[in-house]
Parts: sequence; C-alpha cells; structure tokens
Amino acid sequence: MELLDTSHQALLLLFSGDPELWGIVGVSLSVSLIAMLIAMPLGVGSGYLLASVEFVGRRPLIVLIQGLLASPTVVVGLMLYLLLSRHGVFGQLHLLFTQSAMVIGQVLIALPVLIAFSLSAIQSADPRARETALALGATPPRVAWTMLVEVRFALMAAVCNAFGRVVSEVGCSLMVGGNIAGVTRNIPTAIALETSKGDFAQGIALGIVLLVVALGVNSAFAFFQGESQR
Amino acid sequence: MSLLAISALEKSFGERRLFSIDALQLAAGERYALTGENGAGKSTLLRILAGLETPAAGAGRYGSRHFNWNPYPDWLRREVIYVHQQPYLFHTSVADNIAYGLRARGVERGERERQVAEAIGWARLEHLLGTPPQKLSGGEKQRVALARAWVLAPKVLLLDEPTANLDAESRQQTLALVREFCSPRTTAVIACHDRDVMELPHMRRLHLANGRIDLERVGTS
Repeated sequence: MELLDTSHQALLLLFSGDPELWGIVGVSLSVSLIAMLIAMPLGVGSGYLLASVEFVGRRPLIVLIQGLLASPTVVVGLMLYLLLSRHGVFGQLHLLFTQSAMVIGQVLIALPVLIAFSLSAIQSADPRARETALALGATPPRVAWTMLVEVRFALMAAVCNAFGRVVSEVGCSLMVGGNIAGVTRNIPTAIALETSKGDFAQGIALGIVLLVVALGVNSAFAFFQGESQR
Repeated sequence: MSLLAISALEKSFGERRLFSIDALQLAAGERYALTGENGAGKSTLLRILAGLETPAAGAGRYGSRHFNWNPYPDWLRREVIYVHQQPYLFHTSVADNIAYGLRARGVERGERERQVAEAIGWARLEHLLGTPPQKLSGGEKQRVALARAWVLAPKVLLLDEPTANLDAESRQQTLALVREFCSPRTTAVIACHDRDVMELPHMRRLHLANGRIDLERVGTS
C-alpha cells in the first residue's frame, strides 16, 4: 500500500508542475545536452581519425579507449574533483560544484562511448564507399564527410548510447556538482538524496522522468541501430 | 605521345609477386580490354592506375607530367575515373549519386542539375529516380555508376568487369552504355572476361599473364 500511495504522490508531483522537480529535470537535461554537443564533434572526429589514419601507438590507444567504456563514473568524478579542487591543477578556474564541472565530467564520460562506436561504425562501413568517393575526385575532408553520412544511423545510435549514459550517471555529477539545490542538483543526484531522506515520492517522480528519457533514448538507439544494419 | 604511361611497375602481396610491368603506354582515345585469368592482377592494376592501391615500385606519366603513386596526385584523380565491378552507390538519391563528382569539383548548382539531367537521360535512368539506390538491381546500379562517371567526362576510364554477374538484358544495356562511353575523347581500360566487351569496335587487348602484360589488337573496326 505504501508503494501505491507514494507512486500516487509522485504522479501528483509530476502533473502539478512542481517547480522544484521540473527545475531538477531542467538541470539534468541542459547539462547533458550541452555535454553531448561538445562531445559529439570531438568523439566522432576522433573515431573517424582512429579508423582512417595509421600512426604509431594507434592500437594501444584503441584498446585504452575501449577499456574506458567500462570506467566507473565515480572514478571519472574523483579524477576531475582532484583536478578542479582548490589545490588541483585547474583549481584557479573555480569550476568545482558548478554546472560547468558537471558538463566537463559528462563530456569525459561520453567521449569513450562516442569514439569507440564511431570507430566501429567507420571500420565496418563498406570499403568501396571511401574508394568511390576518392575515385570521383573528393578531397580528404569531403571523403570524411561522405563516410560519416554513410554511417549516419550507426553514429546516431552512438549518440543515443552516450546520452543515455551521461543523463543517468550519478557518481561524477555528485562528486563535481555537489548536488546543490537549484544549481547542480540533477535527476540522478536528487533521487539519491531524496531516497536517503526518506522522501520517496519525489524520488519516484524523478525516476519516472528518467525512465521515460531512458526509454526514449533507447528506443531511438534501437531504431538507428536497425537502420544502420539495413 | 601516349596519354598515360607507366614504367617499372611492380606489385606484390607478401612474398607473392603479382606482376612486374616494364612499360605500358595508353594512347589518347584508345580503348583497351584488359584480360587474364582470375587472380592475374587485372583489378589490382586498374586500382593502381586509379590511385586506390600503391605499387611496390613504379613511375608514371600523364601527358607531359610525371607522377608517383605515394601520394597519388589529386590533379590526376580529376582525370581518371574507376568504376568497381559491383559499384557502390551512396545512401542518397540516384540523382545525388550522379551529382557527387560534380559537387566535388565545385560545379555550381544550376550547371550541376543540367549535367545530371543529361546523364540521367544518357543512361535511361528516368524511371529509377524515385528508387533508393540500395533497392536497385545489379544492372541498374552499374548504369547509375556509369552515368556518375560519364557526367565527369573523364580523360581515362577504368572499368572493372562491368558486365559480370548481370542477366542478359542488363548485360546488353550496360554494354550499350560502355560502347557509347568509349568516345575518342576518352581512353578506356576495361577488365573483362566478356567476349562482347573484347570485341567492341577498335578494341585493343592488354593481356596480363604470369606477371607480364602484352598488347595486341582484337576488335573490329
């Protein structure tokens, strides 16, 4: 019965337009979207270069990036915390416990996913695509653009996967954001806090929002993955 | 003087030497059937001429300009067009596929659309314009690829077995386009096993065997 009552309260919170709750949703989405906007060109570009250019140390670098896919977000948060804290290398920038720090953390979390998936997408593309572009007189930048367009669905799947990872991560946001109400409190850190306080209604309401976002992102991921294999 | 000349061209795969061509000269406006057994190196030779593979050694000359293969010069990519045995069509429309090379050359939109329309008419592709390229048959893809090459009016055309694996009707349609494409303005080298290709008018034969290449005239005039 308690679960039913709490869920009822959660739905009321959601549909009453509770400003605190929707403010948390806003922080979560804006931080993650900005992080993705920064990470996408970096990740996809790096993935393309890794797939297309031979250089010394390429193989170990690929292994390292694939290894980073499994890195715990709290460890990323810890490293970033040490760099951004007052005595850290970037302490003078005063970024700790700001949304900017959360964005940086999420960029670092998204990058390995984007690089690894883009690399895989380009490597699995039909080699005749690149050859055809070259044979038709395309310059290297045009060849690169053509290849990215050819594997666009696989790249969109990579973006959905990376977004799903950053929007739901709690470890890094908690470490470098500090869970400050109205500033750096996002959905995952708020759920952790509200649950620890025993306020399950807001936790469940935010959980529903996160589930809807995750479901939407994963549906898009599955769609794009299906399209890329057609 | 020949249009395209190569000398001391060597290609190996590991320990296996595929071919060693002392000298080969392709005259402007001539058409050549490149024959040889499977694995003789016909496709590899075409791909080297197109700058898609690098030989172990060799020197080249186009007109009066000398070049090396590593890196293959960008200016030569504008003169030489290679078409795969099974052409790759980009995941866009048929018209955009044909326009690709023109875009790469910076041809402005109005002129590009005019030339693409001309190429579509040339290859009789009007009824395929609404079909996604990936849904086209092998013969239809080959015709789109030929139109995509034709619109660029290349000085050197390299075709890799254009009629292989096609049904009788597609083969005839492709053969007709190849025949029209081989104008006196274009030097064509066509890797083939197909007798009808070898016997196209004014065709000369380059036979690749045991790592060597020989030239003879086989076509009717």
